Amino acid sequence: MKWSWLNNRFTITFGTILVLVVIWNVYISFHDHGLIEGRVVGPNGAPVAGATVTLSEQTLLVNQERGKTTTDLHGRFKFTGHHMHRPYLHAEKEGVGQFGPQQYPLYFQGEDLILKRPLKLTAQAS
Amino acid sequence: MARRRPYKRGHWPVHLTLALISALMLVPFYWVLKTSLTGENIFAYPPSLLPHDANPFYFVDVWYAIPFLRYLVNSVVVSVMVVVANVFLNAMAGYALTRDFPGKGATIMLFLSCMMIPFQVTIIPAYLITAKLHLLNSYVGMALPLMSTIICIFIFKAAFEAIPHSLVEAARIDGVPDWQIMFRLIMPLTKPAIATNVILSFIWSWNSFLWPLVVVRDVNMQTLPLGLSRFLSVVEDTTGALYAFCVMVLVPGLLIFLLAQKEFIKGLTSGATKG
Repeated sequence: MKWSWLNNRFTITFGTILVLVVIWNVYISFHDHGLIEGRVVGPNGAPVAGATVTLSEQTLLVNQERGKTTTDLHGRFKFTGHHMHRPYLHAEKEGVGQFGPQQYPLYFQGEDLILKRPLKLTAQAS
Repeated sequence: MARRRPYKRGHWPVHLTLALISALMLVPFYWVLKTSLTGENIFAYPPSLLPHDANPFYFVDVWYAIPFLRYLVNSVVVSVMVVVANVFLNAMAGYALTRDFPGKGATIMLFLSCMMIPFQVTIIPAYLITAKLHLLNSYVGMALPLMSTIICIFIFKAAFEAIPHSLVEAARIDGVPDWQIMFRLIMPLTKPAIATNVILSFIWSWNSFLWPLVVVRDVNMQTLPLGLSRFLSVVEDTTGALYAFCVMVLVPGLLIFLLAQKEFIKGLTSGATKG
């Protein structure tokens, strides 16, 4: 049979692995813009404008701040072009409170991250 | 089609015991996998049997912390060279040992006695020879000592001896040269022996640590076991990542074994039933 070699456990196993690797890499290529988007809200759930959001990287080898931004009038913030797989986000606003730092582990470097849950500032204990 | 033997009910205690022993032997593998997914402290007491909050992020950490792909490619290149050389050279040596020639007994005795010499004893001469051949820090240099192994030669010898002698004689009468007898007649009939050679040589090469450590100087030429050792020395307090790395090193060998286990067992037992 011409195609009988395809019906072989070695071909099936390694072929499946190859197909999965290709699919995974195609998925990565469409989702690795390095985008991090989210919102910052206060203890009452209202958007906080002018809060400082800090993006830092903590891996097995690195512990470094990678960016800083402030939220707009709707409490939204955005980072672009990151190349991390373990970003940490920290948000704070004087007189309102702070959030984090909290890690957001990603499946690959530069994965787009749209935060579904806002960063909720809580009042600091004095 | 082979008929399945009827299951004897009286055998269940034996099967239950064997199942329990098998499960017990798999516990370390399970523990490594569980720790790689949870990062739990292995010394935690009481130990939790089921993983809590399992996630694949330690694997992601390892993937980016070290040049894993480079190590993997190095290991694969060396292992493929070792496997191909083993099948080819061991088959030739095994075939030679099935033929009568002066000093055959002494050759077999020499092979058997060489099996008793541990590799650590020969490592300095092996290193000096590799250096003289200018093969240090190269794939060939790493593969060289494993390119032929005595155990695998004897596996081929046993498999070749199990083939009816009349078959070889008939081919010889027809004027078929020895190399064609071996590669076109005998080798296709000894697939289990080939599979055993492939698996054994692959696993030995894949797990080889001491020899690559001695001959490799460049970080980019390191194989996975060397990468694991380097990972341990560079990164501390990384239980989850360390175990994830162990799983990543283990999986290819395990996969090859599981795929070829039927032939592997056949190859190991083919000589045992002869006569």
